[in-house]
Amino acid sequence: MLFALELNDKVVGVTSYCNYPQAATKIPKVSDTLHPNLEMIISLKPDLVLVTTASQLEQFTSKMSELGIAVFVIKSDSVKGVLSSIELLGKTTNKEQAAKSLIDSLNARLEKVKQQHSNQTAKPKVFFIVGTEPLITVGRKAFVTDLINLAGGQSISEDVETEWPAYSIETAISRAPEIILSPGSHSTENESSKLTLPKGLEITPAARAGKIYKIDGDLLLRPGPRIIDGLEQIAKLLYPEEKR
Amino acid sequence: MKKFVYLTPKLFFTTLSLLFLLLLISFSIAVLFGSEKIPALKILVASSNYLLGHPSGLSIELETILFNVRLPRAILAIIAGAALSVAGAALQALLRNPLAEPYVLGVSSGAALGAVLAIIFAETFPLSQPLGAFLGAAITILVVYLLGQGKRGTSTDRLILAGVITTSFLWAAIIFLLTVASSAKLRGIAFWLMGDLSSSNNTLLGITLVINFLGITIIFLLSRSLNLLMVGEESALSLGVSVERIKIALYLLASLLTGATVALVGSIGYIGLIVPHIIRMAVSSDHRLLIPASALLGASLLLLADTLARIVIAPRELPVGAITALIGAPLFVYLLRRSA
Repeated sequence: MLFALELNDKVVGVTSYCNYPQAATKIPKVSDTLHPNLEMIISLKPDLVLVTTASQLEQFTSKMSELGIAVFVIKSDSVKGVLSSIELLGKTTNKEQAAKSLIDSLNARLEKVKQQHSNQTAKPKVFFIVGTEPLITVGRKAFVTDLINLAGGQSISEDVETEWPAYSIETAISRAPEIILSPGSHSTENESSKLTLPKGLEITPAARAGKIYKIDGDLLLRPGPRIIDGLEQIAKLLYPEEKR
Repeated sequence: MKKFVYLTPKLFFTTLSLLFLLLLISFSIAVLFGSEKIPALKILVASSNYLLGHPSGLSIELETILFNVRLPRAILAIIAGAALSVAGAALQALLRNPLAEPYVLGVSSGAALGAVLAIIFAETFPLSQPLGAFLGAAITILVVYLLGQGKRGTSTDRLILAGVITTSFLWAAIIFLLTVASSAKLRGIAFWLMGDLSSSNNTLLGITLVINFLGITIIFLLSRSLNLLMVGEESALSLGVSVERIKIALYLLASLLTGATVALVGSIGYIGLIVPHIIRMAVSSDHRLLIPASALLGASLLLLADTLARIVIAPRELPVGAITALIGAPLFVYLLRRSA
């Protein structure tokens, strides 16, 4: 998000998961997503600390405010939340102009995706598999569920509240998903990394039609501007005939 | 505390028939209930059609749910429940301590660590998981036994303490490995560590089935010697039982049963403790009955626990180990107080 706002040279620390853009990998790593290294962060004297997993980092954020370091919490529950976070971050960092043009282009792409399926009446039923042993999927609170909805699909596990629920194989079978998605890493896009479905799911419409796809997990699970890339990829898989 | 009931053929057969009946009922319950509702009548018709080789008459979804999801899972519960219970009974005889149990003594955690190591370092090698789990279990039993040895033999307190320390050490090692390693296979492993019966690895299932069946049978054949072992090593020796050989056999068999089971379903606690205890209290502590009865009761209880795990928060699932621990841990405390 910061890099998209042309704040490259202002970033003094990143997490060990930050791999985009390339430049981010050369910045000192001060944290993974859950265990920030307080000493390193303090010694870098940041003006602002960005947090996305706020609910799990309450202790950290209160420590930061004790030290007088401002904390910016990125709303990571929905696409809308991410877009409004970009806007607010632009204001905070005096990059309002850059933020505005970024949001405009993202919104335009979002609208385009929405339009593609606006005349569709039946939403394809999507099953998003995070892990197979045990079967773990996405619930209503997960960001991915929002992406699937915006792309014109319907997640079959939407009725579960929590983000990453362990899910019953029986229910997955009887809800007959028409398309199965799972996060892959961009380095292993080859066929050999194909998802092995849990026993029984091979009879779902998705599996019988061969509609099992991997999408770069970085695009789907990280609240940054690239979520729109992820959204476009999902939409393309849901409505392949509507290309362009 | 223990009931010394003379084991008559009548008692033997009544107990086992009743427990077999319980197993049938538990099995039916496990197949009848799940997150998706299938009417009992339909299941009955489908099953009889299936046995007669006719088409089941169910929709393909329901048929798959019934025969490819519920049925294999029920069989897995039977295999695992029976093996863990018998492993518990064997450990109790080996250590001459009624509170010995694979989970409490850290043997399951040792097996889990072995399996995790196998996944990280030898993922492609076939059978690496059960083999790693077996070695982990075997080493842990030895360590706990040696740690638990005091000047005056093993006492319950020392043994349990040794188990607690070993378990916390093993868990620390597992958590360290999970933090450092990033193998895709390790995703969701936290769930597996708590015990999970949703595995769909057919090869592993077959191997475990054979190992567990053989292991339980051999322990059953040794049950006369186990009785003498419980009375005391000296009297066993004087009656012509080669104590050392029996102990080594028991040690290997208990490790094998625990290892094979943990590799498949993770560490499910307390089954191996509760089940032999119930049999001892309710019927007899004669191993000729205790071993087969534990196998039957263990299978039934794990079937019921897993059915609960599948339906309480459906369509979400709980790890079955959470259910057995919620029921088993308080019972363990109760037994500990009684035996003190």
